[in-house]
Amino acid sequence: MRGQPRWAVALAAAILVAGTQYSAAKKDDRHKAHPAPSAPAAQTASPPAPAPPSRPPANPQGAPGVQPSAVVVEKQEVQTILGKAVRSSAGEDMGRLVDVVVDREGQARAAVIDFGGFLGVGSRKIAVDWKALHFSPSDPQGSTITLALTRDQVKAAPEYKDGGPVVILSALGDLQPMPAINPQAQEK
Amino acid sequence: MTLAQLPLDSYGSGSGAGGRGARVHASPPENNRPHPSTSSLHGLDWFVFFVANVQTGFGPFVSVYLTAAAWTQVDIGLVLTIGGLVALVGQMPGGALVDAARSERFVAAIAVIVIGANALQFAAWPIYPVVLTAVVLHSAASCVLGPAIAAISLGLVGPEHVGERFGRNARFASIGNGLAAAAMGAVGYWFSPRAVFFVTAALLGPALLALAYIRPAEIDPERAHGGRAEQPPQRPLSSLRSPTRLRPLLIFSGCFMLFQLANAAMLPLMGSVLTMRSSQWATVLIAACIVVPQLVVALVSPWIGHRAELRGRRPLLLLGFAALPLRGLLFAVVHDPYLLVIVQLLDGISAAVFGVMVPLVVADVTRGTGHFNLALGIVGTAIGIGASLSTTLAGYTSDHFGSAIAFVALAAVAAVGLALIWKLMPETRPGEKLLIA
Repeated sequence: MRGQPRWAVALAAAILVAGTQYSAAKKDDRHKAHPAPSAPAAQTASPPAPAPPSRPPANPQGAPGVQPSAVVVEKQEVQTILGKAVRSSAGEDMGRLVDVVVDREGQARAAVIDFGGFLGVGSRKIAVDWKALHFSPSDPQGSTITLALTRDQVKAAPEYKDGGPVVILSALGDLQPMPAINPQAQEK
Repeated sequence: MTLAQLPLDSYGSGSGAGGRGARVHASPPENNRPHPSTSSLHGLDWFVFFVANVQTGFGPFVSVYLTAAAWTQVDIGLVLTIGGLVALVGQMPGGALVDAARSERFVAAIAVIVIGANALQFAAWPIYPVVLTAVVLHSAASCVLGPAIAAISLGLVGPEHVGERFGRNARFASIGNGLAAAAMGAVGYWFSPRAVFFVTAALLGPALLALAYIRPAEIDPERAHGGRAEQPPQRPLSSLRSPTRLRPLLIFSGCFMLFQLANAAMLPLMGSVLTMRSSQWATVLIAACIVVPQLVVALVSPWIGHRAELRGRRPLLLLGFAALPLRGLLFAVVHDPYLLVIVQLLDGISAAVFGVMVPLVVADVTRGTGHFNLALGIVGTAIGIGASLSTTLAGYTSDHFGSAIAFVALAAVAAVGLALIWKLMPETRPGEKLLIA
């Protein structure tokens, strides 16, 4: 029971990382897309590591025959996000990013953040629109994640629950109806 | 009484403990009377304090730390569930182990060292097998440490004065928890969640130092396990199985299971309601809701212990159980966040009664059996079951019917516990002759 989800997560993360590296390299031609001698440390990490040998190939049509290629991305261009602190644009502490919600195509739709509370009491997982998140891996203070919502705007959001419909808070739409949600009337 | 009325400063002068020592001597003479020295009593004070510090580090910070170490929520939940199960299943074996031990100090030292090592493990390698091992070992060590502290207390001061001693333990544990939560929260915020575990491990030193101040010669191993020299060795557990002992013990376990079933989820549920209602002050209000009961416990626990020796256990049990349904009902109807913090005073009263009465009543019931710690483990298991079901009950009720109904349901459970205590629980205080002093 316990080996399964970790492998799945590892695999998903590997695919995600590989994907982002690929797309980042494609749209950014300032960096050499292929083995750059100037960055050996990053390079060694990239080769076909993301393919766990015991698993069936993630992309069955191509894996065996295709030569794996490596992409080098500077660390100012990318960042990992799981477990990272999220702040509002006003600098408020919004909790930590604990999960990512994707749709059928694998596009990220929402991030789940563990919001509020004190010493674990009263904290709640809420899903926020992926587009409301801004990533700044090049920040010299250390990579940060900024959410275009304030504590006041997310405080009434319903809790994210695995298996139920996901209510995604968006920064783009009108948020007026949200505070009207009565926590007592909130069914399921 | 003077000890109880002096607030937190009663420790510093040393006169408080001296006064109590004098009272011990004034008691009717009896063979094998305990003569705990000031060094031992103060050593126990600080041992309880530092153990509370260490245990706080393992509380809420585990989840924060693992989240920051990019663990998935599934893994964190699994590790914590396993730890909780071990803590539950280990209660009775832990108690039996302490009963069998002849040196409670040694057992306590081992348990503290294991916990300190676990904290280092956590900090050094946040990888799955290491963390899982640390969590399991920590739970197991905690199952031994709690009974060991109770046994040292009972062995030092004897059953006649252990009520006050448990009161004092509750005070120091509460202060220790509160200060450690504040200090570790600050460390986690300013440095890193990982630093919290280094601090936790470093607290191992003062805890062992305090333990060294407790003089082993003053801990009577018979007394520490609720046994007397007159008790001949019989078939295992036969002394505990006698109906006059077993019945109150089972009633007591059942009542406290209901107590925790109602109590454990109340604060978390209120915390999530607060987070929904107020954004600016939610964190501060929740912090206040955690700290206020701790302060109440620190203030009133010694008084409760003293009062229990003077007037009996039942009135205090009823007080503690009555505060809980009242609190549930008030949470259901009060909406002003600041009033909610005041309602939390009731939590402090319940918690103080809970902290003092659980070991005290178990010590009463197991007098002359030699199974004090095993019985404490039985009650601990019941309490643990109640606490773990509480979150499920409250979560389900609040999801389907809203938080107000959930609070009412918890209050109803607490009211059943109160009724059972009222109807079934006998007074367990030892006879009047013990209170002439």
